[in-house]
Amino acid sequence: MTGGGEAPALQGAASGHNGGAGRRILLRPAVPLLVLLPSLVLLPLLGILPFLAHGGGLDLLCQFALAAVTPSLDPLVLRSALTGLATTVGMALLGWAASLVLGLLLGLASSRTLWRSCWGQLWPAGLIRRLLAIPRAIHELLWGLLLLQLVGLQPVVAVVAIAIPFGALVARVVADLLDGLDTGRLDALRLAGAPAPAALLTALGPPLLPGLLSYGGYRLECALRSATLLGVFGLGGLGTDLKLTLQSLEFHELWTGLWLLLAVMLALETGLGRLRRRWLMPRRLGLSRAGGGRAGVGVRAREMVLAMAALLPLSIGVAWALGVDPRALLAWQPLQGVGGSGWIDGGQLLALPWPALIGGTLALTLLAAVLAVGLPPLQLLVSAPWPPARLLVRLSWALARLWPPPLTALLLLLLLQPGVVTAALAMGLHNAGILGRLLAEALADGSPANEQALASGGVGPRLALLYGRYPAIARPYLAYGAYRADVLLRETVVVGMVGATGLGSQLLESLSSFAWDQLLALVAVYALLTLLGEELSDRVRRRLLQGA
Amino acid sequence: MAAAPLLELRRVSVAGRGGVPRLEGVNLVIEPGERVALLGPSGAGKSTLLTVANGLLAPSSGEVLWQGEPPARSRRARRRQQARIGTLWQDLRLIDELSVQQNLNAGRLAAWGWPRALLNLLLPLDTAANAAVLARVDLAAELLGQPVAALSGGQRQRVAIARLLRQDPTLLLADEPLASLDPRLAASLLALLLAEATPPRALLLSLHRPDLLAGFDRVIGLRAGRVVVDAAAASLQGAAGGLLQELYRGEDREMERETDGQSDGAGDGLRDGAPDDPSPTAGARPLWAAPDQ
Repeated sequence: MTGGGEAPALQGAASGHNGGAGRRILLRPAVPLLVLLPSLVLLPLLGILPFLAHGGGLDLLCQFALAAVTPSLDPLVLRSALTGLATTVGMALLGWAASLVLGLLLGLASSRTLWRSCWGQLWPAGLIRRLLAIPRAIHELLWGLLLLQLVGLQPVVAVVAIAIPFGALVARVVADLLDGLDTGRLDALRLAGAPAPAALLTALGPPLLPGLLSYGGYRLECALRSATLLGVFGLGGLGTDLKLTLQSLEFHELWTGLWLLLAVMLALETGLGRLRRRWLMPRRLGLSRAGGGRAGVGVRAREMVLAMAALLPLSIGVAWALGVDPRALLAWQPLQGVGGSGWIDGGQLLALPWPALIGGTLALTLLAAVLAVGLPPLQLLVSAPWPPARLLVRLSWALARLWPPPLTALLLLLLLQPGVVTAALAMGLHNAGILGRLLAEALADGSPANEQALASGGVGPRLALLYGRYPAIARPYLAYGAYRADVLLRETVVVGMVGATGLGSQLLESLSSFAWDQLLALVAVYALLTLLGEELSDRVRRRLLQGA
Repeated sequence: MAAAPLLELRRVSVAGRGGVPRLEGVNLVIEPGERVALLGPSGAGKSTLLTVANGLLAPSSGEVLWQGEPPARSRRARRRQQARIGTLWQDLRLIDELSVQQNLNAGRLAAWGWPRALLNLLLPLDTAANAAVLARVDLAAELLGQPVAALSGGQRQRVAIARLLRQDPTLLLADEPLASLDPRLAASLLALLLAEATPPRALLLSLHRPDLLAGFDRVIGLRAGRVVVDAAAASLQGAAGGLLQELYRGEDREMERETDGQSDGAGDGLRDGAPDDPSPTAGARPLWAAPDQ
């Protein structure tokens, strides 16, 4: 009964088939394998970890884990956590709203289509685009810390710190969207004699809106994460509470804040997901091909406009409640030593161990990126046969997403020695949470046909997932991973405080010793690296998406 | 092994949307060596029956027996049962991103462990066996290294059959494999499938139109989720062909009803009319007259 297929196979071998054709192809991993390759880094990593562990904090870590089920319900703790959460959410909202306005304006200003049709010239668009790369290359935490030095601890600092880099990011996306649109309609209107601004609004407004709102929604999630992170560095809100409770080992109180934050984050994510589907928007970054975004403004145009209109009074109300005052930005404090004679010490600048700093930063980025890209597909694969385990994996992603990397790093320090690996683990886990959600979304949108076909032929759930689902999502997933690596490079500054070798830790050190010349040089190098990384990841991404 | 039928459905029902069942009280036995055509108009439940037969869909009521045994409780044992059932899907379900060789080897995944499954994504495995199955479907071994996405429609059909052969199941299920093919290609593919369905194997193949029945042992007619014809194929060739006409009677009318919300009693009246209603589907008759001997 089983021989039917194999006997002719042997005959085929005997009759001298063309085996050379197969052998000429050297090791070329197929796409589903590419998704799993990054996770190979776990093998050496698991080998090193025992040597990095100092074992002292194991019982502390257990206490931390156990406290998850018994968060403190003390009314005082709850009230403090809720106040902190409200502040964080408010800062995120304000920073996000400001970045949208800023991004829209700057995006229009750097759009080639707009310059061409209004003024008939292209070079200003290119110039603005290039200038915008600089605020984008500097992480919001750096902006926050720099502003903190300039204007002191003001509520407005966190808002502006978020708004500047996010605005530049939004500007890039807006410009790309605008220039990627088909200009046929625009040209038709222009030929018919419509004035340029009116023609632009009519022809490009409606097709631009869904992509913009979809991306804008995603940025709101990012803003919430960033606001929490800024809090960890003392800029107020729940992040500050989280860090203080962690440092004083009050794990029960820590979990009160964490669960609240998780609830808000999940509510935000599902809410935005609903809206996205309701308004027929494309999924972010085109990871999934399904789900038509072709409906233009969609049927819910009125809702969208109302929601946008409601944003302004809401922002003003929140700003008033938080005491955010833009005028505070104008009152600069004098920086110690700046402007005095010899505040730039060239010799000391060159004495910094630049190769080690840059090398450390790059190693950190690479390791974290590989972890972040490699973990989610592996976790899904391992948990495939057991639905409860799958749920657990999803929950761990959600926690990893909202848990700021420096806090993870602090937690890991209970168990591990400071260094590149510890910092990379902290960043990798956080970003694995983000990529994991994206992967799950892409899987939910994809067709289950192949997986079902394999399962109906007796293939186990893991292999059915690997062969039936991963091939289709492999390239877009890895392309998004390349983009994420570029985000990670920018983020390395965040885990600098763990004492990882790298630009980030040196930067925080220079900041605390008021070495402004070093700080400026470090920020410049950081920006340069980020710009190079952006270029590189763009190329990798394009190759991945084209080389199908 | 010889005694147990490969597939047995006992009073199988599958609930559908809006209270209209997709299958209702279906009884069906398929013995080793049998080649069975499953006929019926679109929406009759052919695809549902096949997904129940391969275990993808659990029936709402009734029993499915594979080689005389109900689906096993343990997942591992159940997968062993399902590995003996091979399905040729209407949309083929080839993995576009992989090569022909890797797709063919995907037919062996149920039997393989992880190491070989991973290695298959890295190296050409089992080239001899794959070349042999390709030869059986009249394809050249040179195709092995090609990505599936680069193949023509006819080649894809054949690769899907070759993958089925690599799986080496005893029960072959095919969901309208001939639907979108030109008549010549359809006939040759059908001949291929029929040739593979020799004992101990059996074939259950669904067809939309009753124009390619030569070579089948048995015909099962499905209509609105019920088995209305179950007869030897030979007995349907001549005068008894009316049974098949019966199956398709009023199909156009029914499709109208599906698309047109403003249905009324007229269609029902027609369907319940005289048994010698002389209107089979418009396009069907000329095709019947052209069998592929």
